[in-house]
Amino acid sequence: MRSQQGKQVRWKKPGLGLSGLLLFALSLELMKQGAGGLAPLLRGHLAVTNAADSMGFGWLMAYLILSGSPVAAAGVALLSAGALSPLQAFTMVAGSRLGACLIVLLVGFIYTLRGHERRTALTAGVLSLLLTGSVQLVALPMGVLILSRGWLDGLSIPGLDGLAAGVNRGLEPLIGPLAAFLPGWALFVAGVGLVMLSFRLFGRSLPQMRLERTDFGQVPRLVYRPEVMFLMGLAITLVTMSVSISVGILVPLSARGYMRRENIIPYILGANISTLADTLVAAALLRDPRAVTVVATHMVCAAIVSLLVILLAYRPYERAISDALTWITRRRRNFAFFLGVIFVIPVVLILL
Amino acid sequence: MKILLCTNGSSHTVQALDLGTRVARAAASSVDILAMVERDREEEVHRLAEAAAGDLKAAGIPVTILRRTGRMAEEVVRQAQAAPYDLVIIGSRGRRGVVRLLLGSVALHVTKHAPASVLVVKGHARDLRQFVVCSSAGPVSEHTVRFAGRLARALGASVTLLHVMSQLPLAKDAVPDDLEASAEELIQRGSREGVHLSQMLDLLAMEGVATRAVARHGLVRDEIIAEAQEGRYDLVVTGAHVTPGLNARLVDNLSADILLAANRPVLMVRWRERRALNAGGDC
Repeated sequence: MRSQQGKQVRWKKPGLGLSGLLLFALSLELMKQGAGGLAPLLRGHLAVTNAADSMGFGWLMAYLILSGSPVAAAGVALLSAGALSPLQAFTMVAGSRLGACLIVLLVGFIYTLRGHERRTALTAGVLSLLLTGSVQLVALPMGVLILSRGWLDGLSIPGLDGLAAGVNRGLEPLIGPLAAFLPGWALFVAGVGLVMLSFRLFGRSLPQMRLERTDFGQVPRLVYRPEVMFLMGLAITLVTMSVSISVGILVPLSARGYMRRENIIPYILGANISTLADTLVAAALLRDPRAVTVVATHMVCAAIVSLLVILLAYRPYERAISDALTWITRRRRNFAFFLGVIFVIPVVLILL
Repeated sequence: MKILLCTNGSSHTVQALDLGTRVARAAASSVDILAMVERDREEEVHRLAEAAAGDLKAAGIPVTILRRTGRMAEEVVRQAQAAPYDLVIIGSRGRRGVVRLLLGSVALHVTKHAPASVLVVKGHARDLRQFVVCSSAGPVSEHTVRFAGRLARALGASVTLLHVMSQLPLAKDAVPDDLEASAEELIQRGSREGVHLSQMLDLLAMEGVATRAVARHGLVRDEIIAEAQEGRYDLVVTGAHVTPGLNARLVDNLSADILLAANRPVLMVRWRERRALNAGGDC
């Protein structure tokens, strides 16, 4: 009886992971099929006609569904269906990363309303946004330059190409009838819903990570080298695919829930790069080299900017982020101003 | 306390010899003077070493002058490894940026490789009347505080214990009160840092040293430098980077950063028992 339960537990996580992957592939194909019909809606009613629009659109979409990865996946699906240009898809992915920080901020805000201490509830969200925003400020123009010059064109992920072809062949009998039965927009919405479900399944399939007995057990107390924390954030998020889950793995290391700011800043910088690994897989599953190029460009630019910061200007950067964080979380008025800015910017981008 | 004083006749090492002689007069049981003889300064180095030795002998302290040639950083480390010194006193030119990158730093080399505690004399070195001692609330801190206390007692100096809290509250149920509390509040609450500060204050009081505790909030490196400057301290005391094994590669060497950034003398206290410690820098 016990061994049967053990077997069930042993197979549960890989089963959830495999189901998540299949659902992910299905959702991408649905979004791709439905995206073609969305092009007139995007260009007409939503006026997503340039790179600034698509960035604001991705940013607000991530706010709306409280997650960045499905929006990034939707961005590459829209590119694959011809509804967005590579540049627009690139800025939409960037917008999705900025919008993704809102979930942490919103959860914190709800906690504040429930009477929790403001700084405790809001610190992680504000820090994520400051770090993502500061990197994107430089990574965005860099990415636009790389895309316009075509320096990373024609990229592919060899192993995934074959897998994608096989998975898509297997899903064809399911997608065909659905595409015939449902209108384009409904297919797209169903795809977004399923991609969110697939991320949940992935999340539940992750192995338990415990750092207490490793060399990183002292992260809440000691100050680690920034490059070490950067690589740690990069590696852990490559597995979890979510910045907030990666940060959550560090939290139990401290009984009081504290983490040294010297450690968490480079950790999130690293995590911000590998959190797009799922979008890269999405691009590969769509079998569109342009989509792979867009996501890879985003990751390469974020990596270059983050590495330059870590290696050349880390101390002033760390100081600036720390000061900004302190200022924003110090007073209600400051936080309200910050909140206003992060809602106004995507709206302004759409109006541009 | 067995002390090694080092000079090669250059202005910053002359300053170190001068301050070192004053420290040794108050705290040393025996002194070795390492005179780095360079061709163009041979007579001057000899004269300086003899003058310092005479001064110390007059105070009843046994002195030996050791004449060496070669690279100062390596010779100081070699001598520090050859005898059981408690304290090595050297000067620092205070090179920064590209110049330091190209020419290196004698002080950094010595603090990294010498098995003893190292007092690096830099900036405007006055009599050491006010110490600021960085405390990490970790196991190495106790040794650092004891060493600083003994030296402060000998010199009649007062000690300010500094603890920097750079943590952020990340868990939803974290109570951030400690992250903005003063040292008095931390002690009153009996938080981990408060208990440590209280114990260290008791330890210093037992040495008969006038003490107080200060807690600052922000980036460790910046807050220590800011406190050193704002408080007009004569000496910054920090634990040396003693992390063994893989952790030495993972943990940041804050002590070296403080040494480079401070514009006043810095004492890096080394814990001589190389047990399996898990602490990087003492601040």
